[in-house]
Amino acid sequence: MNTKRVLAIFEKDIKDFFKNTSLIIMPVVPILLAVFYNALFDDFIPLFTIFIIIGMVFAGVTSYCIMIMMAEEKEKNTLRTLMMSPASFLDIIVGKSLVAIVMTISTLLISIVFLDVYHVFNLQTILGSILLLLFFILLGIGIGLFAKSIAATSVYIMPIIFIFGFSPMFDLFGLEEGHFVNVIFDALPVSLLMQASDEGSWMPLILITIWVVVAYLFALFSYQKNKNDD
Amino acid sequence: MDYVININNLSKSYGNTQALKDITLQVPKGQIFGLLGPSGSGKTTMIKTLTGELKKTSGEIQVLNMDEDQLSTPNYKAKIGVLSDNSALYERLSIYDNLKLTCKLYDVSLNEIDTILEKVNLIDDKKKVVSKLSKGMKQRVMLARTLIHKPDLLFLDEPTSALDPGNVDKIHQILRELNEEGTTIFLSTHNMEEATNLCNCVGLLYKGIIQEMDHPDNLRYQHSTNQFEVETHDGELIKIENKPENSGQIEQLIASGRVKRMYTDDPTLGEVFLKVTGKDLGS
Repeated sequence: MNTKRVLAIFEKDIKDFFKNTSLIIMPVVPILLAVFYNALFDDFIPLFTIFIIIGMVFAGVTSYCIMIMMAEEKEKNTLRTLMMSPASFLDIIVGKSLVAIVMTISTLLISIVFLDVYHVFNLQTILGSILLLLFFILLGIGIGLFAKSIAATSVYIMPIIFIFGFSPMFDLFGLEEGHFVNVIFDALPVSLLMQASDEGSWMPLILITIWVVVAYLFALFSYQKNKNDD
Repeated sequence: MDYVININNLSKSYGNTQALKDITLQVPKGQIFGLLGPSGSGKTTMIKTLTGELKKTSGEIQVLNMDEDQLSTPNYKAKIGVLSDNSALYERLSIYDNLKLTCKLYDVSLNEIDTILEKVNLIDDKKKVVSKLSKGMKQRVMLARTLIHKPDLLFLDEPTSALDPGNVDKIHQILRELNEEGTTIFLSTHNMEEATNLCNCVGLLYKGIIQEMDHPDNLRYQHSTNQFEVETHDGELIKIENKPENSGQIEQLIASGRVKRMYTDDPTLGEVFLKVTGKDLGS
């Protein structure tokens, strides 16, 4: 990996990010929701609402940003130009991921400041958030490379936001303990992060790591599919 | 001779379709080599194989003294430039920002941006956003981006397709200057005028086979009927074989003042292509 080339791609993408209205709107949504929830709940903000916002940041900012950036490079043929330069694919991916990371951390910090919920961030939650960041970046890269067009990513992002981003919301449905829907949604990454925060347990982090491996394999599959024109 | 591209018995297949068949080709340093053929003849496959984007099926490739397994290395990519008809720029960024990215990726001084923009006549537009440029201007920016790191070998895949004649002339002029400075150019085109005007050597590619290969003038000469056609003021058309013993006959005709027009019947490269392959270049 070449740091100079990674930073060059980062600099280009961050400039492009602020000129792309479909991307710049994404960090605004969870921040507005944080402001809204803060106004709605005076003293105590329920845990699931905090993690819905965290889920929205990861799904809507991290995944969506990198997904759109990859899909746009592919659709507009600029990815080929980048691949034909001395930059390696890793340089390209890391450069783009830095943009998603910067935007995710900024959005997350601003949202937390508005929510005023620093207490949920124990060691497990912080480590889990880093794993989740990795998971959503890999998922975004995988879908961005897999999608045939930018328009197609808008379709793919919906289930990601609803299934992965909003998974803590399923606690609200009041399903009985052990119900298969509960079991499924409790095993999703953002729900696992909520469990790590609530119980201070390490087990959810191991399960999130498995999700990261799955996302990595998916990103690798999409990359192999796009690697050359054969 | 110092060959920049050395290909022996190269074949490339996509499933059951053979795109390139047993091609052997050498391109010496400093040459403008043109691959002339209609759409689907294998031109892009050839360029993508040489740039490391596609893997060959069989045969040997050596480009800039590097074997095929080195064609995807940063070292190789730093020495070549690639411009195709579907190359693209970052539309939301300015010309300067697009070139700045290239400079940083190729480790080139940012001072080169002004130099190259002067060369492609876009220095006054460098702050313009790419989305606001005309197609011809965009093509010149892409050419500037391809040249800014001074590549040893330039691959151009249909570089002037869909451009107006004015822009085509400008790009040809830049390419000639670049070649005079020592850059070898490997060009694919279906435009016979482009091949005739630019190339020192042209390969006629059809159905994945280089049917003939030579200097454009030689190809035309080889396929001419080797006759002068003389049109007189009284409408007569006289055909005279191009032989030294007929020079007297031509001199007599000129001296008689009867000659209205006189020309050779050398075919265009397009006509040569049609004669060799039975296929029109435009179709």
